[in-house]
Amino acid sequence: MRRTERLGLVAAIMALLAWSGTGCTVIPPTGPVTLNDISAGDPLGKPFQRLIPIGPRPEWGIEDTIRGLQAAMAAYPDDSSVVLEYLTPTARATWSPAGPVTVIDDAFTVALPAPGDGSEIVQTVTLKGSSVATIKEDDSYVPAAGQWERPYELVKAKDGGYRVNALPQGLLLTSSDVERAYRSTNLYYLNRSTEDRLVVDRVRLRMKPGERFAQTVLERLLKPPTEALKDAVSTSFPIGTTIESVTSGEERVVINLSGPLDPLDLSAEDAVRAQIRYTLNNNDVAKGRTIELQVDGEQYSVDRPGSDEHWLDDSGDSAYYVSQGAIRYLGKDTSGAYVPGAAGEPRGGYSKFALSKESTALVAAVTSTGISMAPLTQGGRWQEVIHGEKLTAPTWHRDGSVWTYDRDADVLLRYDPAAGRGPQRVSAPKLDGLDVTRLRIARDGVRVAVTTGKNTVQVGALTGEGPGLVLGNLQLLTTTEVGFEITDVAWADDEHLLVLAQSKDGQILNEINVGDGETVGVPLKDRLESVTALDDRVLAAATTEKGTKILELNQDRQTWTPQIDSNAGTPLFPLG
Amino acid sequence: MVISVIVVVVLGTFLFGQINKSVVEGSQKTSVGEAFADRLQIADALAPNVADQAKAADGGQQGSANPLDAVMNAVTGAGAGGTQKRYDVLVLNRSLPGASRGSGSVVPEDVPASLQAGVQRNIREQQYDKPALGYMEKIKFADASQARLTYVVGGVVHVPANGQNYEVYHFFPFNEEEELLVNVRLAIVVVGFGLVLLLAAIAYLVTRQVVTPVRLARQAAERLASGKLDERLKVRGEDDLARLANSFNEMAANLALKIHQLEELSHVQRQFVSDVSHELRTPLTTVRMAADLLYDAREDFDPMAARSAELMQNQLERFESMLADLLEISRYDAGAATLDLEPVDVRDVVLRAIGDSEALAERHATRFELRLPNEPCMAEIDNRRVERILRNLLFNAIEHGEGRDIVVTVGADRDAVAIAVRDHGIGLKPGEETMVFDRFWRADPSRARTIGGTGLGLAISREDATLHGGWLQAWGQPGEGSQFRLTLPRTAGTDLKGSPLPLVPPEIEMRRTWRTAMTPVLLPALGGDGAGHAED
Repeated sequence: MRRTERLGLVAAIMALLAWSGTGCTVIPPTGPVTLNDISAGDPLGKPFQRLIPIGPRPEWGIEDTIRGLQAAMAAYPDDSSVVLEYLTPTARATWSPAGPVTVIDDAFTVALPAPGDGSEIVQTVTLKGSSVATIKEDDSYVPAAGQWERPYELVKAKDGGYRVNALPQGLLLTSSDVERAYRSTNLYYLNRSTEDRLVVDRVRLRMKPGERFAQTVLERLLKPPTEALKDAVSTSFPIGTTIESVTSGEERVVINLSGPLDPLDLSAEDAVRAQIRYTLNNNDVAKGRTIELQVDGEQYSVDRPGSDEHWLDDSGDSAYYVSQGAIRYLGKDTSGAYVPGAAGEPRGGYSKFALSKESTALVAAVTSTGISMAPLTQGGRWQEVIHGEKLTAPTWHRDGSVWTYDRDADVLLRYDPAAGRGPQRVSAPKLDGLDVTRLRIARDGVRVAVTTGKNTVQVGALTGEGPGLVLGNLQLLTTTEVGFEITDVAWADDEHLLVLAQSKDGQILNEINVGDGETVGVPLKDRLESVTALDDRVLAAATTEKGTKILELNQDRQTWTPQIDSNAGTPLFPLG
Repeated sequence: MVISVIVVVVLGTFLFGQINKSVVEGSQKTSVGEAFADRLQIADALAPNVADQAKAADGGQQGSANPLDAVMNAVTGAGAGGTQKRYDVLVLNRSLPGASRGSGSVVPEDVPASLQAGVQRNIREQQYDKPALGYMEKIKFADASQARLTYVVGGVVHVPANGQNYEVYHFFPFNEEEELLVNVRLAIVVVGFGLVLLLAAIAYLVTRQVVTPVRLARQAAERLASGKLDERLKVRGEDDLARLANSFNEMAANLALKIHQLEELSHVQRQFVSDVSHELRTPLTTVRMAADLLYDAREDFDPMAARSAELMQNQLERFESMLADLLEISRYDAGAATLDLEPVDVRDVVLRAIGDSEALAERHATRFELRLPNEPCMAEIDNRRVERILRNLLFNAIEHGEGRDIVVTVGADRDAVAIAVRDHGIGLKPGEETMVFDRFWRADPSRARTIGGTGLGLAISREDATLHGGWLQAWGQPGEGSQFRLTLPRTAGTDLKGSPLPLVPPEIEMRRTWRTAMTPVLLPALGGDGAGHAED
């Protein structure tokens, strides 16, 4: 190497050292680069906190011991050993955690016995609180009300403190415990009769430490629905299907199933995909991600976000209203236009209109002699299809049939225009002897809201198929307070029912979740006559001094905006 | 190489230490900060606030009734719209039922024992404001298949209103940092290895660039030293090594020039001597003939003229022999001397030479002492030249022997024969052993040549010996006389390995050995004794 070259090399090394030593370009500026978005956290899990149970302590008195026992019960599924620490051998032998979980209010009290001379062996205390709900073994959350009181027997422990000798069966949780450890979860099953639409089932699932929420949800989805939907829905998963693994990649969630599902038979693929996708996405899990389904590691189906959503909404979303006996469109472009056919002609004698889904385009209304039906087509004529003097307002099923309850004969009637026969009776054993005032079939074609008397709402489901169709599984949803009278009910979406009730003093409009009874009040300004809803849209007819007008509830769910200012009543959406 | 390895290892360790420190410290700082913020939040929420209580009384069931639940929802992100936190939190209050919370899958058993002990000591000593404690450990959580590195920060939240103490532990996963550091370490090792290789390659190249020219220069110098004067270095480039090569080449060229000039000069001189000798012979022959005539007729001259004729005759003889020697030596110089080899018994040659010297010895009252071996000593030699050598040695010994006995020894072994001539004259001074063979050299310039030697005898003898492949060496000591030893190979052309006779006379050698072996006390007496011997 020549001297000049060596000098050059040394100079180059020095320059390199100097350059690297300055540190001004540790992070060099770069141009635009394509990046994969990585969202924070695990897409398949939900953060949650747990109660850490503490065993009984010698310095604790009776009340602390009872509260500690309750706290340990809240953590029982995570750590069952701590509860047993509180129990005497006798109690351990008799007590069982199985059965429905009782939920009471946080502010429970422990009524101590009258102070004795300290020599009592067994002390009995009473735990008093107000009932909040029970969580049944099928994970359904049933609100409850009233006082809750149970006796507990305590004995002194050898090393100080107390142990529980006798206690009520089952677990006792406070509403905070439920809020902390459980998540309201929507499971999606298939409409049993048509199998073309998903039916939502609401459960409370317990968060399991060490297991992702997605796995918990999917494993619950493979089990049967709650009592409310028993025999009313079906599932696309064959019996024996299990979840092998749920893993998440960069933008993809892979669910590996195992069981009798045939990867080559794709007849159920669409339904399986829809059930999983809606169950995950509508519980804020794996949102916006591609879901890949595998059967025993073999690709079965890939669900991309934003694909066709006919599984939930296909009944049409046009709004209508009734003006002087005629049905008119309610919309930005066509507002005020009359629908074609006889239904669009103003005439008296027709009331309590109901619209079928848009694809069949039929309207039904009550007349003085029964229920008439008219197609929304040019030249469509009114035609009486069900005869009866005391029929409830008609309601459409998504299969195209119109339903009503004959209060004279105490029968549930179903008329299918496509069948070409007269109205048929549908068995509804639980409604026998009840004063059925309203009947509304939900858009999923399964749930049915029934008002009995003036202030009770029950929700049932259509179970069975064909001739065996039964309106069953009726459960009490809500009753109004004394003095209130239900004036209208309407399905918002598959799980929310709007209940309008009024008394002499005022009106209330509640949006009630039929799954767990969760009730949200909607503030009212004007006096409402009727309500209708489709998903987030809520329309109502209000009476003022000037007449009736149509209001729409704003997105904030607090204020209303007038849509039609005068001469407008009874807003309508298809179905519901 | 070793140094570069050490430097790279040290640098790598230092670098890794720095990165390790900054990464881990940075993460720990962030973690401690988050833990502190959470503890503040918890403490804030748990402190009973009058306004809050009033609000709670008004609101009834609204919101979470338990402030711990509310703040834990915020801390763990479990509330509505919350996002999952990267760490897990554990709040422990062992004295209040239902006042312990955890997120993720942490359980109280996951808290390292020493950390828990430290936190509980802080509680006992009521030092709630003490800084939080950190602990780095591999912890196996219930939901994980293997233990992962976790940084646990423990602190105390003290609620003064009701005197409750909450142990708050934060579990920060550090496996990402660990993974990062493992990658960094791997990168440093790989880069370090590459650096070592690079350094080795550079060192090799540089060495080759520098050492190779130096080696070439050394080889050239060696060849130059061995007489190859036309050896030159190749000059490449303009650096120092090139300049060295240039200087070397100039030096070699100058040397060659000088040596050539000297050779020329020497040759001219020898030629001159040879020419002079030849040219002198012709007039000398004429002068000699005339002188012979005068010498033969000297009895007819008056005594003065007769004496002159005698003198002239003597000096002419000397002149002639000197001229013969000069011619002989110039023949050597010209490289024209040749050997006439024949197997001869060396004893005969010695006897002949002694016979030639008898007359001269008698004149100097010198006797010869002969020590000859009994069996013949055959050697391939030039009879005439060896006889001339011996004659020269004997004449030399007689001249410097001061009338004392001259010992002539003949020795032989398998390879060589040797003849030593020992006199007991004034001897030689140190350093004169080699000078005696120089041309026209005399020990004492003031001394006259008594027997008329030409001053070239020993020089010619040495040339003769060398021509045989033999040695002619001298030994002498002032007062001890001198000895000349001629060693010749038995077969011409073979190399001599040693001589059958010692150069130093045996009696001298023996005395020297004695002297060194004697004790210092006895030395003066022996010395005197030795001196006496020497005078004998």
